[in-house]
Amino acid sequence: MKGLKTYLLGAALSIFAATSLASSSLVGQAAPDFVLKSSSGENMRLSEHRGDVVMINFWATWCGPCRQEMPLLDDLYSRYQRVGFTLLGVNIDDDSRRAMQMIEELGVNFPVLFDERKEVSQLYEVEAMPVTVLVDREGNVRHVHHGYKPGYEENYLTEIRSLLRE
Amino acid sequence: MTAKRFFCITGLVWLASVTALQAQDAAPLDSDAVFADAQSLEVDEAQARAEFRSLDEDVQSLKKEVLDLNRDLFLLEEELLFPANSQVAFFISMDVGEYFDLDSVNLKIDGKEVANYLYTQREVDALLRGGVHRVHMENLKVGDHELVAVFTGEGPHVRDYRRGATISIGKGIGAKYVELEITDRVRKQQPEFVIQEWE
Repeated sequence: MKGLKTYLLGAALSIFAATSLASSSLVGQAAPDFVLKSSSGENMRLSEHRGDVVMINFWATWCGPCRQEMPLLDDLYSRYQRVGFTLLGVNIDDDSRRAMQMIEELGVNFPVLFDERKEVSQLYEVEAMPVTVLVDREGNVRHVHHGYKPGYEENYLTEIRSLLRE
Repeated sequence: MTAKRFFCITGLVWLASVTALQAQDAAPLDSDAVFADAQSLEVDEAQARAEFRSLDEDVQSLKKEVLDLNRDLFLLEEELLFPANSQVAFFISMDVGEYFDLDSVNLKIDGKEVANYLYTQREVDALLRGGVHRVHMENLKVGDHELVAVFTGEGPHVRDYRRGATISIGKGIGAKYVELEITDRVRKQQPEFVIQEWE
């Protein structure tokens, strides 16, 4: 029994590690470009934000930690937007109307893009929610965070400030 | 002079002459060896130079072969991927744009979706300034093919607008270029979508 438990734990850890590695393989690479429709009706392309530090946050309405994290991300966006920081929230729900409803409930101001076809989330190898990707001014992926726990926003703050200073 | 002294001097003279004779005999042997060594060295050098030259020639000819192969592969790859005689390219261009604010273009060839491009405001501005966007490139067989282009955007009176245009493309031998132009038709106060082939 003990042996089975150990085996299952090991298997779970290795799967977790594999999924973490999947997106983390993007670190150091050029961020894959994409264009999606935004909540304001405009189409937004990632490469048009070259020169800004960009945070891409993949989320879904059924994801509890995403709900917890979004207001904190909105604070970061409000604070640093005027010094060259952009935040793009990429929603992967099948129906964008649910996402629009949640955005209004939470009162977030950062642009939210709709990836109904899941093409962009596949590009970024997103397998769990939320995933937060930080892209530097030259368009390279510098940090990838999987999941959210209270306190992660401190790490985001440190990383954003460091990238803005570059 | 005493006899003793005479015999000593004679002995010394005899010894000196014998030594000189031996030296004379030995000298011709050393110079021969040196000459032979020098000759063999020269031969070795010449051989080495000849070998080096032939190696160098081999390397040069190998290099040339590799470069030729690389060029041939590149041309072959291009011909395989986009053969000039079956290539078709589709371009989007815009006129004044008073009656239509472009959002996206969807292309279907023979019922199959081949392109779905979302335009950002910057890209639309570029089109309005005279830019032309190659939205899709493909290989098509010789014969007739149906192209359906659906334009989505904001039409007159800030209303959502979706309009399709169809054309039958007769593909012959040689590359083909198709322009999908969005123009303003002032008389009807509506946008017009024109598909035309470049000669």
